Amino acid sequence: MSATTQIARKERWALLQDQRGLGWLLAFSAVLSAFALLLISNQELSLLDNAQVVYMLAGTVTTAGAVIAVILGADAFAGERERGTLVPLLIAPIRTSELVNGKALGLVSAWGLMYLLSLPYLWAVGAGGQNLVQAILYLVLFGTPVVLGFGYLAMALSVRSGSVLTSLLTSLIVLLFTASPLLLGPGLRNSTIGRALDAVNPFSGALNTYDAVIIDSDPFLAQLPRLTLVLAWLAVTFLAARTTAHRPRFH
Amino acid sequence: MLVDANHLKLTLNGRAILQDVSVHIERGEIYGLLGPNGAGKSTTIAVLLGLYAPDAGDLRLFDQARGHPVELRGRIGVMPERAGFYEWMSASDYLAWYAGFYGGLQQPAADLLRLVGLGDSGKRPVGQFSRGMQQRLALARALVDGPELLILDEPTNGLDPRGRREIHDLLLRLAGERNVGILLCTHLLDDVERLCSRIGIIDGGRTRLEASLQELASAHAAGRRFRLRLERPPADPSSLPSGLTLTSESQGWWQCLVAPDNTAPLPTLWEDLLVGHGWEIAEIHAEGGGLEALYLQLTASSKNEVKEETT
Repeated sequence: MSATTQIARKERWALLQDQRGLGWLLAFSAVLSAFALLLISNQELSLLDNAQVVYMLAGTVTTAGAVIAVILGADAFAGERERGTLVPLLIAPIRTSELVNGKALGLVSAWGLMYLLSLPYLWAVGAGGQNLVQAILYLVLFGTPVVLGFGYLAMALSVRSGSVLTSLLTSLIVLLFTASPLLLGPGLRNSTIGRALDAVNPFSGALNTYDAVIIDSDPFLAQLPRLTLVLAWLAVTFLAARTTAHRPRFH
Repeated sequence: MLVDANHLKLTLNGRAILQDVSVHIERGEIYGLLGPNGAGKSTTIAVLLGLYAPDAGDLRLFDQARGHPVELRGRIGVMPERAGFYEWMSASDYLAWYAGFYGGLQQPAADLLRLVGLGDSGKRPVGQFSRGMQQRLALARALVDGPELLILDEPTNGLDPRGRREIHDLLLRLAGERNVGILLCTHLLDDVERLCSRIGIIDGGRTRLEASLQELASAHAAGRRFRLRLERPPADPSSLPSGLTLTSESQGWWQCLVAPDNTAPLPTLWEDLLVGHGWEIAEIHAEGGGLEALYLQLTASSKNEVKEETT
């Protein structure tokens, strides 16, 4: 078994056996449960169109997934270093690239689990309506690069700063900043600045695609520019994690 | 030679960490690397492991010019000062997982755990281990691949006297029976005197001394006091080799002083006393001095630096 697989295996194992990992998965489920309950039971929200509800839940899955990916990414190097478990990895016959790849695969597993956890919720709120299958597919296609991208960004900062707190806060600020255009009113979003931000913002890219596909039933080809954007985001953040991960400090 | 490091230099973030460090370790030898905190011991280990490339100096490991660090690390077992385990894993699972980096366990995890005195703790999560047990597990981890070179940083920290003795015996066995070279970093000079055949003292990023303990005992005997217990009182207590003076006798212990200008090796002095002068020596105890005095003398610059920093 390669070192990459070994490390990825440990990451997966930690997610399911370590209290910390289980806690985050539980928190993710709790957020989805609360939101799904709200969508179904709240008088105003329950009147929403079914596709609108599925769109909102897909956005919530992506956002909650990105937050947990940031937490796990920030912990990947700095957390291990603070707990003293990084040194045994550095002194083992492992290449830096294998260490980063293993950690990156660990994040893929975490997102995979979160995605699987979200399926029953999507089905619960969207089974009777249109475009549920599209929502599930586009969550893989657009949610995966966005969520993993934030995880890799946090990982890169984790290596660079050596501090869980610093990498976590910085990544969360970036996440909030990328989510901010969505908090702007429609008028501001249609302004030049709003449109420019949307054009380079992977988070907007994913949510606008969910909107277009789930609510407006737009075709796949129309989503290609946004797909390029989120894939570029994934590539850039992964490269950042790879290049930042020079051999971390031994001491 | 397992480690042949000469005049290593390394600057990190503009600070000269290693300025002139030399370490030489033979197969089957236990080498004590001593030095105050911040002297450069951990950085020296990091350089040996290929985590840092030295800026200057000559480094050869395993009788060959330096190969790829990853391959070299596959032949070295390391026990870092901080054990660092995933506390939710059981000891056996952890060893099996860690051995995966070396191509799998060479022997069952249970055997490895038994070797370090953790025979019945394999199924317990590491989080339930005491500090001493984690130290033992860290040693087992260092041994997963049957290394040719073992690097141990404070291996007996947190161990009770019995545990310490068991680890000592294990290290002596590894060196003697398996021909493993061992680099031992410790502040416990008792451990060094019991285990090591050679030592290196580092201070301020420089090797201040590198020698065998036997050479040291001879070279630094001048001016030291020794207590001797004899099988029977000497026929003529005034008959002593030149360079040795009798100072007192109490309850069967004879105290003598090696002359400050003595140049004869210590073993020669004892042999002369035994054979030439008929002193039947049963026991010899050095009083003060020894490795500790030498260590303090050679690392005095660090003490001064600390004083300067704090004033």
